[in-house]
Amino acid sequence: MSRSEISSSRRDFLRTMVALIPTVSLAACAPLSALRTSPAQSYSLRYFTGEEWAFLRAACERLIPADENGPGAVELGVPEFIDREMDGAFGHAANWYMQGPFACALPELGYQSPLTPRAVYRAGIAVVDAHCRRTFGNKSFSELPVTQQDSVLTDLENGTLDFDNVSGKSFFGFLLQNTKEGYLADPIHGGNKNLASWKMIGFPGARADFLDWVDKDGGRYPLGPVGIAGTRG
Amino acid sequence: MVDIKKPPVDAVLIGFGWTGAIMGMELTGAGLKVVALERGENRGTSPDFAYPRIADELTYGIRHKLMQNLARETLTIRHSPWDRALPYRQLGSFLPGEGVGGGGVHWNGQHWRVSPEELRLKSQITERYGKRFIPEGMTIQDFGVSYEELEPFLDQFERVCGTSGQAGNLNGTLVEGGNPFEGRRSREYPLPALTDVYGATLFARAAKELGYHPFPEPASNASRPYTNPYGCQLAPCNFCGYCERFGCYLYAKASPQTTILPVLLKKPNFELRTQANVVRINYDSQGKRATGVTYIDAQGREVSQPADLVVLCSYQLNNTKLLLLSGIGKPYNPATGQGVVGRNYTYQMTGGVQVFFDKDKPMNPFIGNGAGGQVIDDFNGDHFDHAPLGFVGGGYIGVIQTGGRPIQQMMLPKGTPQWGSSWKQAIKDHYLYTVNIQTHGTVMSHRDNYLDLDPTYRDVFGQPLLRMTFDWKDNDIKMTQYVTSKAKEIAAAMGGKSVEVKMKQFGEHYDTRIYQTTHNVGGAIMGNNPQSSVVNRFLQTWDAHNVFVMGSSVFPQNIGYNPLGLAGALTYWSAKAIRTAYLKSPGPLVSAGSV
Amino acid sequence: MKISNRIEPFSRLVSMVVAVTFVAVLIQTCQVAQAAAAPQELVQWGAYLARAGDCLACHTAPEERPFTGGVPFELLVGRVYSTNITPNLETGIGGYNRDDFVKSMHEGVAKDGHYLYPAMPYTSYARASQEDLSALYAYFMQGLEPVHNPNRPAQLKWPLGIRSLMVAWNALYFNKGEYVNDPQKNTSWNRGASLVQGLGHCGACHTPRGAIGEEKASSEQDGGQYLAGATLNNWYASPLTGDPETGLHAWSKDEIAEYLKSLPPADNEGQDHANVAIKASDVSETTWALRVGDTRMAGSGVYLDNCNACHRSDGSGANRTFPNLVKNEAINAGDPISLIHIVLAGSAMPSTQTAPSAIAMPDFGWRLSDEEVADVLNFVRGSWGNHAAAFSQDAVERLRKSLTLQKSPK
Repeated sequence: MSRSEISSSRRDFLRTMVALIPTVSLAACAPLSALRTSPAQSYSLRYFTGEEWAFLRAACERLIPADENGPGAVELGVPEFIDREMDGAFGHAANWYMQGPFACALPELGYQSPLTPRAVYRAGIAVVDAHCRRTFGNKSFSELPVTQQDSVLTDLENGTLDFDNVSGKSFFGFLLQNTKEGYLADPIHGGNKNLASWKMIGFPGARADFLDWVDKDGGRYPLGPVGIAGTRG
Repeated sequence: MVDIKKPPVDAVLIGFGWTGAIMGMELTGAGLKVVALERGENRGTSPDFAYPRIADELTYGIRHKLMQNLARETLTIRHSPWDRALPYRQLGSFLPGEGVGGGGVHWNGQHWRVSPEELRLKSQITERYGKRFIPEGMTIQDFGVSYEELEPFLDQFERVCGTSGQAGNLNGTLVEGGNPFEGRRSREYPLPALTDVYGATLFARAAKELGYHPFPEPASNASRPYTNPYGCQLAPCNFCGYCERFGCYLYAKASPQTTILPVLLKKPNFELRTQANVVRINYDSQGKRATGVTYIDAQGREVSQPADLVVLCSYQLNNTKLLLLSGIGKPYNPATGQGVVGRNYTYQMTGGVQVFFDKDKPMNPFIGNGAGGQVIDDFNGDHFDHAPLGFVGGGYIGVIQTGGRPIQQMMLPKGTPQWGSSWKQAIKDHYLYTVNIQTHGTVMSHRDNYLDLDPTYRDVFGQPLLRMTFDWKDNDIKMTQYVTSKAKEIAAAMGGKSVEVKMKQFGEHYDTRIYQTTHNVGGAIMGNNPQSSVVNRFLQTWDAHNVFVMGSSVFPQNIGYNPLGLAGALTYWSAKAIRTAYLKSPGPLVSAGSV
Repeated sequence: MKISNRIEPFSRLVSMVVAVTFVAVLIQTCQVAQAAAAPQELVQWGAYLARAGDCLACHTAPEERPFTGGVPFELLVGRVYSTNITPNLETGIGGYNRDDFVKSMHEGVAKDGHYLYPAMPYTSYARASQEDLSALYAYFMQGLEPVHNPNRPAQLKWPLGIRSLMVAWNALYFNKGEYVNDPQKNTSWNRGASLVQGLGHCGACHTPRGAIGEEKASSEQDGGQYLAGATLNNWYASPLTGDPETGLHAWSKDEIAEYLKSLPPADNEGQDHANVAIKASDVSETTWALRVGDTRMAGSGVYLDNCNACHRSDGSGANRTFPNLVKNEAINAGDPISLIHIVLAGSAMPSTQTAPSAIAMPDFGWRLSDEEVADVLNFVRGSWGNHAAAFSQDAVERLRKSLTLQKSPK
């Protein structure tokens, strides 16, 4: 059956109107409160355990610390972002080709591990904490002083610290990449609370309209950022 | 074992991106009953690219929501015929689209034509520099169609897209402000060029002072409200900075959705089926024709769609894979040099120079347009004397500021710590104050760079993955180092604090992790000789007169420019041959014996 | 009626008389369910008139076959559904003779005698001429495929939902009678009036209605309310009068024609703003403020974050694509309900032959509070030379309650 015999213009237009004929009565709701306010209530973990969470918060804060330039990863909600990512398609490697056989390869041929990000974090946090306890007087990573935390992270980064169950470099790679993502992404994803990173660097965010500014060579853009949810932070 | 058999149609289109939309429009216009089969889902400006939700770098720019889901199908990659190929498990180097509109949804809109000599590159190089100038192993060829023949179709596609630009060669007369090296244009661009951002202005000034010829890059981001020949409407680009990887919320970027589908989808003789994954072209090798295609539908059922005409409009990689799986054309064998399907696979060579400015000069990288900006063509094609340089090819150089999205597009000086307070300080110091000059150049075809079927890995339908064998060859490294050195010269004259060069080194392997363009070309190349091409100059396969192959699959080597302008024009050119010659008398349009 | 040319003159005369009588009998008192086949030209004329009367829009439910009915209408009396008007015998109007058809169009009474509610605008169709109705009848009987699709029963509410009450309503408010040419006006004027008052049924939406649904005027002779603008089902239909501020006074003939044919947003100036050098004297205060990021004025920040991207800092939109908000009748409407509706729920242009792109405005109900919606609309209604009355956020709250909106951006 071909519907295209029908001149669809007026019919479709009226259909839009008809569709708006109330069939459901909704109490006036303000969905924005859920999107915009970030009350200081505790976050409910979706993936990480309490111990893993402690590691994550400590590690993220070393990667992007609070300092004179502004709040760090923890205050911006980066660990929350990462926990939410683990719960979604990214954490499950849903869009990666994960069929075997798996083989070692030149780095240029890309990721060839059967481990999903969820698995990498789980294994990585466990082995790094175990390593810290063995090496630093029975202290987990989150209990170490920051200088030691930094040296552990550096060792992971350059491959000095590596493990059988998971590649140290790979684990660090996810950690750093996801921390930066959580720091710089739109707040609807859980991080970058109050658009703090965007304010620091001068990125207008989701305003996505700069026609009036193209020809202002060398001029400073006057407006602060806005997020997808409408927050100006 | 076919579950469902559909009634026959006049033409079936495999894939529904740019070339599918163009071919759909052309064939329905000729009165044919056309079915388009798209493996992905339907997408449209509303609601899928709506403002402000589309301005989400993480979802679209980093998690690749609009692109191919590799979990279902990918390819394997190796550097040489002696290596083991491994799967391209994550998107990196190239980002194929999926769904209605394909890559046409998330491209930047950089809309070039082709340098006339690049269409006959082998002849050109041989004539100008001698046969021995072409190094051992390089397998470049002529396209088999001339620029003059294609000019009306290059023009036609620009008019459909509302391309914004400034002509440099109008019917043989050079025009100030345009590209003096371009092929002759019969008329101006449909829309005037976009305004330049600050970085592009600085680039143009420096390039001009050095004696080069800057001009605005042709952009299929409309600069004015525009109604195209089909009656479809575009709005002027507002430099939102969410172009490549994103659908356009503003109806400003040319895509199948904005320029063709509002008309095509309503035609009574056109039907679109989504979530229809073609797994095979049904080929009668005796009769040397296809009888139709077989696809897997959303429920996993095998469906047969008989058709008189089969047009491959899917992505370049998939077109090649389908020909191999269907046994149409002789597969290429690098050891013997025989065979044609899969040969001459090439890519794009990119490099760049970053210019870091003082904090008194905000460059505002977030003011981004996918195309436009200022470029020079002085070192592209055969526009300059290659004799003392010892390489074939070239590239354009320019500032095309597509956006300042902080996760993907942050530029920091070499040696900046990757984390910690120093990193934070660095992004604060540099985010607003950096400009990127890019170089975008050719990759010549080589006997060892090709496509075939992988022996080990399979897709979700149980079919072998395509296998890509590709690595950089010295010729192209030489080229990029030369062209990027010119870019560095211009960068140094732009008034920045410092510049940094990013270019490939000799011996460097092709890195599949880093994005470098989705300009994969070749595999089903066009030509005049069936021994060295898969399709003739009308894009009709030599082995099945009712099978045509579209897209950059047909390029025998890559051109310096972005390929879509030429690919679109070739689709209109092929469609015209189908409409005016093939349909009247179905059969080979070029006899195999002729040249 | 074709008259054979082989008959002798006397017989010819007799035949002509017979033929004319036959046609008269056919038109006046034909009792058979299906008329003898009308000429194709009449059917085609009927198809044209059906487009003018837009029968398709109300008598075709989404995803259903044309003219098979099923579209719901929420009225004071309850919910009624449009009917199947294909020539199917059991479920459509295949059993209607021409008189039955005329009675439903001219009097609002169906073949079986039940009264139609004026959701079916018989109050306007009453103006259609007998010739028009003959053509329409021919179209519906011969131009359409009969389709079996039983009519959905109305869900009428007591006490208003008793159909025979329509007798009284009609007596009070229904002005019967075909359109009669005004001898003081020219042919075009009369043709236009007959279309507007008749098949076009413009007044059905654009004339304000009284408490029990009666249109307050059925023509310009009937007091000043004819086509003066009305709110219906949470949309405001703008005035179609010549009022300079709120009506069509500033519209040219071509613009009206183009608008009615293709419904792109009307644009009076064809502005090309992408590369226009801004002269201070040409630019309104509001535009300057927006361009320098001065958001002190209430609603201006909301405008910059939500509207500016398409409608621009001077409100001009983009020719043929995004509406120009400056001195736009819809923006300056007395009742802002359409504007609130569009901001909360979005809207899309229809795809037509001449303007196939269905340009859409996204919904902002999930993103903006009631206060922000009121602020930004009041900002727009008071900027760039617009000076429509401000309204309170209560209007937003009321409308939001009756719409189903999505709650989140993802």
